[in-house]
Formats: sequence, C-alpha cells, structure tokens
Amino acid sequence: MQEAMERHGYIADPAIATAVFLAREMKKPLLIEGDAGVGKTEVAKVLARLLDTELIRLQCYEGLDVSTALYEWDYPRQMLRVRMAAEGSDPSLTEQVIFSRAYLLERPLLKAITRREGSPVLLVDEVDRADDGFEAFLLEVLSEFQVTIPEIGTIRAEHVPYVILTSNRSREIGDALRRRCLYLYIEHPTLEKEVRIIRARVPEAGERLAGQIGRFLQALRQRRLLKSPGAAETIDWAQALVRLHRDELDPEIVQQTLGCILKDRNDLRDLTPSDLSPLVRQARGIEVPAS
Amino acid sequence: MSEKSLVVHVARFARALREREILVSPADEVDAVTALTLVDLSDRAEVRQALRVALKIRPRDAGAFDELFKRFWESGPAAADPGRSSRPASPPAALLRRQGAAPGSEPESRDLERDVAVGDLPGYSPEALLRKKPFEECTESDLRAMERLLERAAYRLATCRSRRLVPTRGRGAVDLRRSFRKAVETDGEFLRLARRARAVEEPRLVVLCDTSGSMDAHTRFLLCFLLALKKAARRTEIFVFNTALTRLTPWLSPARIGPTLERLAAEVPDWSGGTRIGESLAEFAARHLDEMVDGKTVVIVVSDGLDRGDTAILGAAMRAIRSRARRVIWLNPLMGDPRFEPTARGMEAALPFVDLLASAHNLESLERLIPRLAA
Repeated sequence: MQEAMERHGYIADPAIATAVFLAREMKKPLLIEGDAGVGKTEVAKVLARLLDTELIRLQCYEGLDVSTALYEWDYPRQMLRVRMAAEGSDPSLTEQVIFSRAYLLERPLLKAITRREGSPVLLVDEVDRADDGFEAFLLEVLSEFQVTIPEIGTIRAEHVPYVILTSNRSREIGDALRRRCLYLYIEHPTLEKEVRIIRARVPEAGERLAGQIGRFLQALRQRRLLKSPGAAETIDWAQALVRLHRDELDPEIVQQTLGCILKDRNDLRDLTPSDLSPLVRQARGIEVPAS
Repeated sequence: MSEKSLVVHVARFARALREREILVSPADEVDAVTALTLVDLSDRAEVRQALRVALKIRPRDAGAFDELFKRFWESGPAAADPGRSSRPASPPAALLRRQGAAPGSEPESRDLERDVAVGDLPGYSPEALLRKKPFEECTESDLRAMERLLERAAYRLATCRSRRLVPTRGRGAVDLRRSFRKAVETDGEFLRLARRARAVEEPRLVVLCDTSGSMDAHTRFLLCFLLALKKAARRTEIFVFNTALTRLTPWLSPARIGPTLERLAAEVPDWSGGTRIGESLAEFAARHLDEMVDGKTVVIVVSDGLDRGDTAILGAAMRAIRSRARRVIWLNPLMGDPRFEPTARGMEAALPFVDLLASAHNLESLERLIPRLAA
C-alpha cells in the first residue's frame, strides 16, 4: 500500500499506509486528524487515484445544511415547468413531476451514493467545522448509506463509497461519529520522510537543498509556534526556493521567503534574524550524502 | 494465532486500555479483531498501527497506548496481567518476532496536543483585570462589578443562535423550496415567499453545585453566575449539595442575589459543611435524571472533587449522568492554580465521564465557558 501510494506521488509512512489499507479492506470510513497541512486531504485524493475512481468532495463549513450537502431542487427548471403547465392542468400532477428525480440536483453526499460506476471516494473535508446537527446527520448517512427524500422516497447506495473524513481538531468530533470510523492521527513528518516528500513533489530541488529544508523545518517545529508549518508549507517553500534558483539556504533568503512557511504574524515577528541564523546554520550543518 | 485467541487477546488489551481510562467500546474491539485478520501479524509495527487505527486512539492517549502495547504484544500477555489468575494459551510475542520501532512513527505526540482554541484575551481595561482576579481576592465593590459583568455574559447565552434554519414569518432568507410548494398551488405565481432564519436555541442546563466548606470562597460567585444563567436560559435547573442534595430552582427569583444567598444559607441543610459528592450525585441520578436530563441537556457539576464519601458511588453516578446528557462539564475552582492536577480522589473517579474539565476560579474562566454551553 505504501509503495502504491508513493507511485501516485504520496509519501506515506507505515501508519498512514496501514490505516488506508484497513479502511479499504474493512469498508469503513476513515477519520483523519492532524495539524493543518500534514496531508490529510491528500490521502483521499491519492486513494481515488489509486483505485482509479472518482473523488467526490464535500467541504464542510459552519452552517452547512442538507441542501448543500445532500440535494437541492432545481428551482429555475421547476419554475419553467410550472409555468408551462399553465391553465387547466392538474396541480397535483404538476407537483409530482417537478418533485421527481429529473428535477433533483445531486450534492456531494447524494452523488456519492448514487454513482453507478463502482465505489467513489467520498471526502468529507474539515468535518469539525460543521455543527453537531450535521455530524449526527452524517452519522446516519454513513451507517446506512441511504438517504430519504420526502418527495421521492429512500435512495440506497448502489456501491458503498470509500469515505475519508478529515478534521483539524478545531473542536472535538463526537464520540459516536468517531466510533463509526477508523481513526488516524497524522503527525508532522520525520526528517527522512520530509526530505522524501520534497524530493517527490519538487524534483527540481537538489539533494542538498531538500536536506537543508527538511532540517530547517524540523528545527523550526521544535520552537513554540502558533501555527506549525505542515508538509504543504514545506512543498511551497521548496518550490519558491527553486524558482529563486537557490541550491542552499542562507539567512538572507530564509528571511525573505519565511512567509511561505510561517503564516502567522506573531510567529513571523517572534522569529528574529538572530534566532534565524543558528537555525540556518543547524540546517546547513550536516550535509546529506550525495546519492 | 487462531482467531479465537486473537479475540481473547484483543479483549484483554482493551480492558487494560479501559483501566488506563482510554475508552474503548466493544465495537472498537470488533474492529480491532477484523483489522488484525487483515494485517501481517508477524510485523509488530504493522500490528501496532492497525490497533491504533481500529481502536481509535487519540494522540493524547498515544503514550499510554504505546506503553500498554509494548507490555501486551511484545512480552506476551502473561506479564501484562499481573495479579490475575487467567493465562492465555498462546502468547502472541512468539508470533510477533520482529523488533524495532516503525520508522517514521513517534509516540511523543503530546506536544501536538496544544490547545489552540483557548487563547488569552488581551487585557486593556479595568474590566479585563477584574476578569482575571481570583474570586478569593475580591473586595465587596469588585463583587458588585462582577455581578454586572456576569449578567451580561450570561445574557449572551440566551441569544445564541443555532445554525439550523427554521421557517419564519416575515424575515430571514427566502426559502425557495417552500415557496415553490406554495407557487404550485397558485399556478406558478409567487404570491408570497416563504422565509427561514436561524433558530434561537435555548440551551437546557442542569447545574449541580457543591457548597461545602472547601468551596466557600467560590460559592458566592458561582451561585451568582448560576443565577445569571438561570435568567438567561430559563430552562436551567439548579441543585446544590454538600452532604445532601437540594433542588434550588423553585427558590430562585431573578431579584437581587445577596438576599437569595442569605436565605439559602439559612434553609439549606449543612451550608458550607462537609461534602459527600458521590451520594449527592447518586441521589440526583436516582430521582431527577430521567425527567430533567435528555440528549439536549448540558450537565454542569461545580465542585473541587474533594469527596469524603465512597468514590465508587461517585463514579457510578457520573456514568449514569454521562449516558443521558449531551455533555458533562465539570467546573473546578482549584484548577486556577497552575499546580493543579486532578488528583483529588473524587475528581479521579469522575474524570472518565466528564467531557470538559474547566476552571472556575475567576470571571474570565466563566465567560469562556459560555459558548461551550450552547454548542
């Protein structure tokens, strides 16, 4: 599994590979938690590529409701139909027509369970941002994989989708939902993994630069930061440095590009140039042996 | 290993986890067994990962999990079950030969557990200072200022809006779906638009407040807070306890707090006496739980957890309450002390059944609590 994921551009450690493998084999949703930017969403994307299936994404936010998550009626078309029916026709018949599946707009959850061509991957992203009520609703959908629409009836899943839920832990996910899923907590990458991520995602970055970036970030995460940079930031930064034609770090360039990895004003302010140079020295200290 | 001994071993492991207060349900155990039939049992690292995933181990429990895992799946279950007579037939250690930790996995995830949600408010006004002042250090005039602040804070609670949209008359966003329904009846003419808006959801609260001697310095403020809460969220039930439980709700008038407190001191048995938390909560569970607590109710226990009674009773009562309530919040005034650890025996027994353990030593801590009551 780990190798398969790597072939699709995702450097997984054994923990991630095992979790994804089990989720696929046991056909259970996988709840992934971890700091921002550690690659939670990426897991779903790579799983979809791996299974060669469609990725259906539901981005959660405060106030997410059924009409954005599940289905909505196609009002403009319904309106046209109602107008066309016009005089003399039986209103109850019109109602039957406009509240049929032809006038239904499928939102991610419904789309995921009605897909005909095999199981899709359903990504429920940042589920912690939706409210408790939605969580309860999600729980129902995930346990039955069926949905009831008052006007139409119950729609059952043709193929049970692979479900990945992610959470930034902005609030605790309810126990019931957590128990329904398998659970994975993604840590910040280790040095070795981080260097491999850089090499895989930014191949233009040389061995030396990748090693230095990796060590710099490892050292940086030891500090008390409000927002620890994740792998996503690492990749951004590596790309920025490559664009700037750098093949190693120096305090000046780090200072100039720090915005790629530190996204909080206080963190940026706290990291003074005098803090920076030892970090850079440390990062440059031991060179990674050339391959 | 046969599937049967796998089941037995997982069950033992789960019990050990539960003893360390890592809550693992039977459903999780089933998941764990299924997961283990899918992985390579000779790969210890993989077994560890699979169990973490299937038993839903959160990062804060990772340390304890790893420790138990080492004892259970490395040296065999015999060593892990000291003092128990039963011995499993086949120690899995023989099967789990491969040594060495999994590359790229680190058990030290505790520093990732930083709680970012609770930030410090910037202090810029006398009010801000007042908010941070511990209750024991307050003067009489501080008290009155605090009472006013508290009332304002509690009022916010009553205006918490749910994110759910409900039909309304005359205001709010247009509800297309219902509008269409109506339009169909009138041949497609939109004579009146249906609207919907965010519902106001009044939180339902049950408060159980400790009034024993060890809580004395704080009681006045906490009751003040509770009275303000009661004003804001009318469906709040308030009980006080020390050696016995008293239902306070019918006595509380929205008038001044001072006289109410004095009346209480006169009439509640054992005001500022000793505590029997367990018995009091058990009494609540037996007499009022079914009728007052449901899936929408937040139960708040205010106590320092210094229990003189039997902690087993306390644990059982908390379990019963937890199983019915939406959330259980324990407010502990001692928590304001940076050296605080929940080591009081009562506190320890109650902790597994508490969703949120928060401090209640100053106004700021109470204010911070308010959004949590509504959510």
